[in-house]
Amino acid sequence: MLDSGTILTGMGVGLSSVAAEVFRVKPAASLPGPAKHSGDEALETENLKTAIATVSAEMNALAEKAGETSAEIFEALIMLLEDEELFETASSQINEGWNAGTAFINAVEEYAELFAGDETFEERLNDIRDLARRVAASIAGISLGLDIPTTGRFVIVGDDFSPADTAQFTKAVVGVVTIQGGPTSHTAIICRSKSIPAVVCCQQAKDIVDGMQILVDPVGDRVVIDGKESDITEAISFIAKSHDPIIPVRANIGSLEDAIAASASAADGVGLFRTELLYLSATTQPTKQAQAENYAEILKAAPAGPIVVRTIDAGSDKPVPFLDMGHEENPALGVRGYRLIEKHRDFIVDQLESLEIAREQSGREVWVMAPMIATYSEAIEFAMLARKVGKFKVGIMVETPSIVYQINELAGALDFISVGTNDLSQYLFAADRMNPALGAMLNPWQPALLRALEQIAAVSQTAGISSGVCGESASDPAFAVVLAGMGFHSVSSSRSQVGVVRQALSSVTMEQAKEVFEAALTGIDADHAKSAALAALVAISAK
Amino acid sequence: MPTTKDSVTVLDPIGLHARPAGQIVKLVKESGLEVRMGKSGQELAKANSPLRMMALKAKTGEELEVEVDCDDEAVATALIAQIQEFLKG
Repeated sequence: MLDSGTILTGMGVGLSSVAAEVFRVKPAASLPGPAKHSGDEALETENLKTAIATVSAEMNALAEKAGETSAEIFEALIMLLEDEELFETASSQINEGWNAGTAFINAVEEYAELFAGDETFEERLNDIRDLARRVAASIAGISLGLDIPTTGRFVIVGDDFSPADTAQFTKAVVGVVTIQGGPTSHTAIICRSKSIPAVVCCQQAKDIVDGMQILVDPVGDRVVIDGKESDITEAISFIAKSHDPIIPVRANIGSLEDAIAASASAADGVGLFRTELLYLSATTQPTKQAQAENYAEILKAAPAGPIVVRTIDAGSDKPVPFLDMGHEENPALGVRGYRLIEKHRDFIVDQLESLEIAREQSGREVWVMAPMIATYSEAIEFAMLARKVGKFKVGIMVETPSIVYQINELAGALDFISVGTNDLSQYLFAADRMNPALGAMLNPWQPALLRALEQIAAVSQTAGISSGVCGESASDPAFAVVLAGMGFHSVSSSRSQVGVVRQALSSVTMEQAKEVFEAALTGIDADHAKSAALAALVAISAK
Repeated sequence: MPTTKDSVTVLDPIGLHARPAGQIVKLVKESGLEVRMGKSGQELAKANSPLRMMALKAKTGEELEVEVDCDDEAVATALIAQIQEFLKG
């Protein structure tokens, strides 16, 4: 049961909000399970032909209703439905004894296996599976219509919607909420093109029932039960008030292409150069000369400003072919990042020496940092090693909770630290980053993470160590303002986000950023923290 | 019947996806000719099934062999040129 005022989090599509009554799409009547036919192959084949023709005609009718945006999608779907080889495959399934509906579903699954793991086709695969269900339903005499009301105003709530489903959306559909599907799902694309406010991937929406009043609030990435107009999250437009952001915005890069693209952005240097890419595809360890050439090329191309290079961050889940990584039960908690030094000191020294050659050749300011540092001794060992090899500024990644408690003891030994928020969240919350079911705990607005970050910024300040954030969260403009308010000295964003993050950080003063951070701290959970911060930003931009 | 062979390059940024696959099959069916396509070194597939074409999983920048069985080489060449057009995305 969902109480009035409950907030359900998802991913917003569009910028306008809507409050209306729920129309809950029932899960479609279940199709009969796989079954054999009674022996009349010719009859089954005929049934299949008829069903395909029927569904094809339905699709044609829907295409006309759906209008131009979707007409091409339907044309492609109809071609797939009438595919000769698919029919041949289904026919041989009938010859093996399966009835027409089962045979067609099996045939589609044979193709599904061919496409599995290929991102381009996976969404299309869902469309084809939907067609197979329709053919099977037609054979079984089951209706898959959505029976959406044609008058009134409704928010349609369901698992996810196929092209055939969205084509049945009537004028009464003023909002859409899906339990599954992502920002690139068909539902999201259609809602965007028709300007229907939507929230997708909202798992708690499964408990929404017919007759409820809900607010669909895409800007806040949420649905509010009994939400009113006054609950709507305002879209924030960051208007730059000064030329320079309150703290430098650097770019994350991993290759020469990235470096070139980043230098076309307004990035102030590079805050995270991931070096793994240069090694993950090599079967033998590249010579120092080859590494140095590679690095020099990238350093020369990188945007003006310092370049923070992270030494290799590999592990048994991200193995480097020429380093023996073995198998581990828990790779995220295993021998990764700087921990490789035990067995592969030569490689890490080689990497630093190559970087020093490249630094000299390029004449660039190079900072080096080691990932996955958990103890004081590791940090000191790396700092001594790096300073012996070259004229670098030296630092560490802060991503394990343990090192947070020793930053103050590193005063004088380190020039800087850089926080990887994704890994810090994973280790702070004991929540596997790879497990989609735990996504909510890895939300950067989690109050515990905000407090951990606040502590890191403060203790670094006291220790005289420059602090930055290079995790995913630094690519979110509102979150970047919060980071500046905490006292971090720089952020590093994915290069496509550099522009908007810069703009956000140019639209506030340091005082205002602090206010936004203080507001975020009042939230008792991630949603409240985020909405409080956004509200503070709106208040500032209205001034 | 003589066979005309040539190669085409996938230029569509999403690779050989549903739309170009559908366009190619439609063209082939209308021509009434037998056309085979595939990656070089692999067995070519009859271009009469969009699913089969998509199953080639041809990515942007990849080359594909095309074979057309046709008495009139000019017709075959024009057909291959049209296929290349569809692969431009």
